[in-house]
Amino acid sequence: MAHQAHAYHMVDPSPWPLTGAIAALLMTSGLAVWFHFHSTTLMILGTILLLLTMFQWWRDVVREGTFQGHHTPPVQKGLRYGMILFITSEVFFFLGFFWAFYHSSLAPTPELGGCWPPTGITTLDPFEVPLLNTAVLLASGVTVTWAHHSIMEGERKQAIQSLALTIALGFYFTFLQAMEYYEAPFTIADGVYGSTFFVATGFHGLHVIIGSMFLAVCLLRQIHFHFTSEHHFGFEAAAWYWHFVDVVWLFLYISIYWWGS
Amino acid sequence: MVTSVSRHPLRLCSPSDVRTQREGLQRNICGKDIQQLKMPDHIDEKLKNYRTAPFDARFPNTNQTRNCFQNYLDFHRCNKALSAKDQDTAPCMWYQRVYKSLCPMSWVQKWDEQVEAGSFPGKI
Repeated sequence: MAHQAHAYHMVDPSPWPLTGAIAALLMTSGLAVWFHFHSTTLMILGTILLLLTMFQWWRDVVREGTFQGHHTPPVQKGLRYGMILFITSEVFFFLGFFWAFYHSSLAPTPELGGCWPPTGITTLDPFEVPLLNTAVLLASGVTVTWAHHSIMEGERKQAIQSLALTIALGFYFTFLQAMEYYEAPFTIADGVYGSTFFVATGFHGLHVIIGSMFLAVCLLRQIHFHFTSEHHFGFEAAAWYWHFVDVVWLFLYISIYWWGS
Repeated sequence: MVTSVSRHPLRLCSPSDVRTQREGLQRNICGKDIQQLKMPDHIDEKLKNYRTAPFDARFPNTNQTRNCFQNYLDFHRCNKALSAKDQDTAPCMWYQRVYKSLCPMSWVQKWDEQVEAGSFPGKI
């Protein structure tokens, strides 16, 4: 019987990269169709295909790792590198929006009144809901660390509780931020202030939602006994991503909410 | 459309003007025959009396937008402060002369209209 004489994972042929690429094509061309012909059909089709691709691809990764044993130490090391590199690319993504914010706010033009915040903008009080949001995310960083230690120590019930609490805090942040968006006295169309504020905080909020989904999947997996005390990289990746989201918020809070007010 | 105000040294002579001093004719610095270039006296007077805004160390770089805007603001703030104390606003004319030297006219017109309408974004 033939079997591999190495510790690496030669992945079986899979259709998901192709469906993912098709989804990207449909979403982008669908966006153009929406802009010019007022139809969202293509874009929605692309989004559905993307969601299906993500679900099936990652389901397959879980099957390969947890059920088929393909995630040996070298394979796990590769996955670690991958997650670190991905998060690094996200750091650069946010760096661009911080650059945009500082470009406009450090040398405000005469059109804005030569001042920051620009004339006519009433900023949010940084010591109200934004401060609460900061506390919520910092607390969620603590609970996710508690969850990690619970998994490592084999404390099943505590792991489930702390992970659930982390996700609840993530949802609470999202809820509070949505309320802030609704009640804000300025919109994305209000000059460069509105643009930088909503694009930077908006992408951050999207990442909070993505991070919460990732943690939720980990919660389901933990409930279904996927993780061992030695091997739980899916959870670690989610925790890294969550800490990254928290750090981005801290920079947003200090720069845009506090200094920029 | 002007997006910033710059202080560039003017080219005073074109390459084709450079001539060697051979004849006894009077030449100006570009080597052009002064007799040919004699200007009407009133313009000559104006040229001798030309003044412009002095160097301001607060704005050392080529982009002088802030210099223009700051002096415009300072003129209006000076007027407001001195009128509030019922004093003569003549000292404020310095700022006006500076911004009139530096700013593009279209900017001054636009800002004057905004001040008139109460929609000027600067703090006065």
